[in-house]
Amino acid sequence: MNSVEIKNLDLNFGAVKVLQNLNLDIKQGEFVVLLGSSGCGKSTLLNCIAGLLEVSGGQLFINGKNVTWSEPNERGIGMVFQSYALYPQMTVKGNLTFGLKNAKMPKDEIEKRVARAAEILQIEPLLDRKPAALSGGQRQRVAIGRALVRDVDVFLFDEPLSNLDAKLRADLRVEIKKLHQQLQNTMIYVTHDQIEAMTLADRIAIMKGGKIMQLGSPDEIYNRPQNLYVADFIGSPSMDFFEGHLENGVFTMGDIALPMADYEYANGPVSGPAIVGIRPEHILTGDQTAGAVTTQVTIDIVEPMGSDTLVYSSLNCKPLHIRMDGKAKVAAGETITIGFDPVSASLFDPTTEERI
Amino acid sequence: MADPVQFTGPHGPKPKTPFSRRNIMLYGTLIVVSLYYLVPLYVMIVTSLKGMPEIRMGNIFAPPMEITFEPWVKAWSQACTGLNCDGLSRGFWNSVQITIPSVLASIIIASVNGYALANWRFKGANVFFGILIFGAFIPYQVMIYPIVIMLREMGLYTKLGGLVIVHSIFGMPILTLLFRNYFASLPEELFKAARVDGARFWGIYFRIMLPMSMPIFVVAVILQVTGIWNDFLFGVIYAKPDSYPMTVQLNNIVNSVQGVKEYNVNMAATLLTGAVPLFIYFVSGKLFVRGVAAGAVKG
Amino acid sequence: MPQTRIERAFLWSITLASLFFILRQVGVEGAIFEYAPEAILFIGAGILAVIFAQTRRLDLFKNRLRGPILGWLVGIAVCVMVLVLAQKGVQDSWEFAKDYKKAWKALTPFASFAIKLFALFAVALLIVGTRDDATTPRGAIERAFGSNMSSKVAAMPMAFTAVGIFVIATLWTVYHSFTNSKLLPKSELIGFDQYQRLWDSDRWILSIKNLAIYGACSMVFSLVIGFVLAALLDQKIRLESLFRTIFLYPFALSFIVTGLVWQWILTPEFGVQHIVRSLGWESFTFDPLFNPDIVIYGILIAGLWQGTGLVMCLMLAGLRGIDQEVWKAARVDGIPAWKTYIFVVIPMMKPVFVTTLVLIASGIIKLYDLVVAQTSGGPGLASEVPAKYVYDYMFGGQNLGQGFAASTMMLVGVLIALIPFAYLEFGGRKKHG
Ligand SMILES: Nc1ncnc2c1ncn2[C@@H]1O[C@H](COP(=O)(O)OP(=O)(O)O)[C@@H](O)[C@H]1O
Ligand SMILES: [Mg+2]
Repeated sequence: MNSVEIKNLDLNFGAVKVLQNLNLDIKQGEFVVLLGSSGCGKSTLLNCIAGLLEVSGGQLFINGKNVTWSEPNERGIGMVFQSYALYPQMTVKGNLTFGLKNAKMPKDEIEKRVARAAEILQIEPLLDRKPAALSGGQRQRVAIGRALVRDVDVFLFDEPLSNLDAKLRADLRVEIKKLHQQLQNTMIYVTHDQIEAMTLADRIAIMKGGKIMQLGSPDEIYNRPQNLYVADFIGSPSMDFFEGHLENGVFTMGDIALPMADYEYANGPVSGPAIVGIRPEHILTGDQTAGAVTTQVTIDIVEPMGSDTLVYSSLNCKPLHIRMDGKAKVAAGETITIGFDPVSASLFDPTTEERI
Repeated sequence: MADPVQFTGPHGPKPKTPFSRRNIMLYGTLIVVSLYYLVPLYVMIVTSLKGMPEIRMGNIFAPPMEITFEPWVKAWSQACTGLNCDGLSRGFWNSVQITIPSVLASIIIASVNGYALANWRFKGANVFFGILIFGAFIPYQVMIYPIVIMLREMGLYTKLGGLVIVHSIFGMPILTLLFRNYFASLPEELFKAARVDGARFWGIYFRIMLPMSMPIFVVAVILQVTGIWNDFLFGVIYAKPDSYPMTVQLNNIVNSVQGVKEYNVNMAATLLTGAVPLFIYFVSGKLFVRGVAAGAVKG
Repeated sequence: MPQTRIERAFLWSITLASLFFILRQVGVEGAIFEYAPEAILFIGAGILAVIFAQTRRLDLFKNRLRGPILGWLVGIAVCVMVLVLAQKGVQDSWEFAKDYKKAWKALTPFASFAIKLFALFAVALLIVGTRDDATTPRGAIERAFGSNMSSKVAAMPMAFTAVGIFVIATLWTVYHSFTNSKLLPKSELIGFDQYQRLWDSDRWILSIKNLAIYGACSMVFSLVIGFVLAALLDQKIRLESLFRTIFLYPFALSFIVTGLVWQWILTPEFGVQHIVRSLGWESFTFDPLFNPDIVIYGILIAGLWQGTGLVMCLMLAGLRGIDQEVWKAARVDGIPAWKTYIFVVIPMMKPVFVTTLVLIASGIIKLYDLVVAQTSGGPGLASEVPAKYVYDYMFGGQNLGQGFAASTMMLVGVLIALIPFAYLEFGGRKKHG
């Protein structure tokens, strides 16, 4: 049984259609990340699932129950917000128990749940403090605890780490992952941070303009992007794209001809104009070029980053990024030989922008 | 280490000259202007402490040679308006009886209203709110008479209850705006979190919003108490001599044409009437500024 | 969906019935208003019956809309209470009911109409709530009376004030300004006679002139003085809060107190004139409250004393809101402070000036208490203002029509003043999307 099912969901703010005919099935225990640039409707989708926004059309199921018109607290969800949204006048304990008290739960049960959540999140010493006396990381832990005590099947996170500094963000990211492994709940996690998405997700849904552009595992998203948007969105620096022509299993751009015999076509081999997308780390350099199709490029800028070195160059008058080993000795102005690996490249149809 | 000889410029902060020309000009101007603002208060106090003979001879700025509290007693308990000769105390108690329920009613209604508008948006709400805010700019004179009829129909015309209704109605636009803006400035996620926690309309209002909004309630109280206490127009229209608020009674005492003018009593009465808002002003400090800035729309 | 359409029809019938009811209550006459509200409600009930015929099931206890239904029943109970309190028998035995005898009586028609209305709501929700479960989208009826009920009830006082008082009262007055109402309001229209009389009246013309002088001077002086004071206080002054307290305290006082104090200070026999004369300048005259030519300036002095503190506060807040970098940049460029104020800071504070101007303007038109306290409109009619004209004709002159016409003119004045502001405020905002 699916934990969360979204069927043909529409949401309008007046005349503005934010979500249109959106479908998404999430399995029990799955960690799904909604990833997209700001304003693409991620929070809106999450709020619809939570029941904080009234949907304009479609249906929502949680654990097989139709909850399209249920109140948020009746849906079996817990939610964690970007700004923590802790009730400032209540102590940490008050924050954790507010929902349980509203549900008229017996006192000893409340105590038990608070104790368990506090232990899991290691916030026992903080229980009597007010949120103002907590650090950002502690606040977010309490906010997670508030969802935890509700003992729900589905956790919703709306950019929970965006307000934290880089170090804390990395730490808490790991903790959320651990929490997921420990609890085995379904989690839906909204973020605009690719690293968070790649590291946390079982599956990532890339959103744009209220639609899901691709839903797949991080590996699929990264290595087999469904369309140009996803290909361009994921990865930093992103893929470089070159226009060319595909004919008889050979992709030609300028005077370079790439045999695409080993390429996994989405719907079998085709011919016609095409766009190839190549990730910087999939450009072969040095010894790797042996046996590959090669060409010569001139280096414009070198950015050593320690573990690896990023090289800016151009090919057919289009920018080309190359990720090289950190120890590679290259300098601006040099000309180097690069090679292409057709298997790890992606081909797109220029008109539909879909993967070929 | 650098060569100490190189330090030729001034060390440390530039020496300040407290009596620079700029400072003398600045503080001089401020003090002169302050005098303009303070003189009326001073004159009120001084006059109210003098006897009538001294007032007739002397000058209004001179401090009293002989301090007397007679005028204060007289203003409070003996001054006459028309046939009533029980002083301002009657007006004071009327004002108290008008102000307290009006302030409570208008703040309760407006805060719930503002909360509903800010957090529970529903269709049509903004139309009503727009009309309400527009109403704040309509001169009261246009609405006065129909309300007289309404109150008369309800048997509340010239009763204190009627004035309470009138003040609650006319306080509504500005207070609703005040509360709506305040609640809208609170993070929306807090409201959402409370809904996920199963709190409903009143639960969120009482448990989450109220405890967070004490400052704005204080601002609203200041705004309403001073506004209603200082009202004259509604008092003179919707009350009768028995139920006149303090301002109306004060005006009637001072501007009555019969009898000899007792300036000291008049000034004592004036001070007494101004005492409540002044007290609130001096106690509330910064919050008052926030209140008047918000409430200045009322004029 | 036909279902939606029929639910809409029900909502429309309710709205229409309420509209007719309000018109009847306000006093619009005619046979159609006599029966229309109830008749339309009856049609609404018929539509409900049709909706019910499609389902033929009712269930209160498992109903999803139990809460709202109960809410409406409570509403009915309250209305019944009002009806009970209006009964003579009850009033005889209960003091509280008796004290507000007339109020209960006045509320009776509202209560009895509301009972019918609420009953329809409750039944409608009962039907709809049985029909729809969590899987079906909410119908029009449920959206209107079932969801978000508390917030709608909470907004009732606002809706009542906005429409019931502000709109209806204003329209009522405007309508009656075209009648020949004397001691009591009449409803036969007589055209623009009242306005003709108004603009022929010397007193009205004088009132307008006074208001114009007072308004113009008060705007200019309060803005200038307020800004200068704010700029002075913005110089990192010691005792800033003391000065601010001094400048603002008059604003806490009522216009009556203000007017009476300044009346006393400006009394020729004792006040400023007397003192200057006693210093040796025998021919000095300063009696604004007794000189028809300058009396309005006497009022202006008091008005400025009361109001500039507020302007100063708003300006100071505006100054503090300005990015401090501007000052550093100006100092680096060697621009003198006064130039920075005039050419950089003031243009940056435009929004503050606009708000302040609106506040001052909306206060000016209401000018009344101050005049009453300080001069009672005298000497003669020299310090009359429109608001006082209205009051005197409505409550003193037993010439309601004149009062209505004058107050309508005040409304027109406000609208004219408000339009450019509304244009600035809302027309400007649209551009940003
Ligand atoms: N209350 C609202 N009224 C109108 N438009 C809204 C509202 N909330 C969000 N939007 C619009 O919906 C779109 C999606 O918003 P959101 O879901 O918050 O984006 P994000 O993906 O950054 O979380 C945005 O374009 C936003 O402008
Ligand atoms: Mg968002």
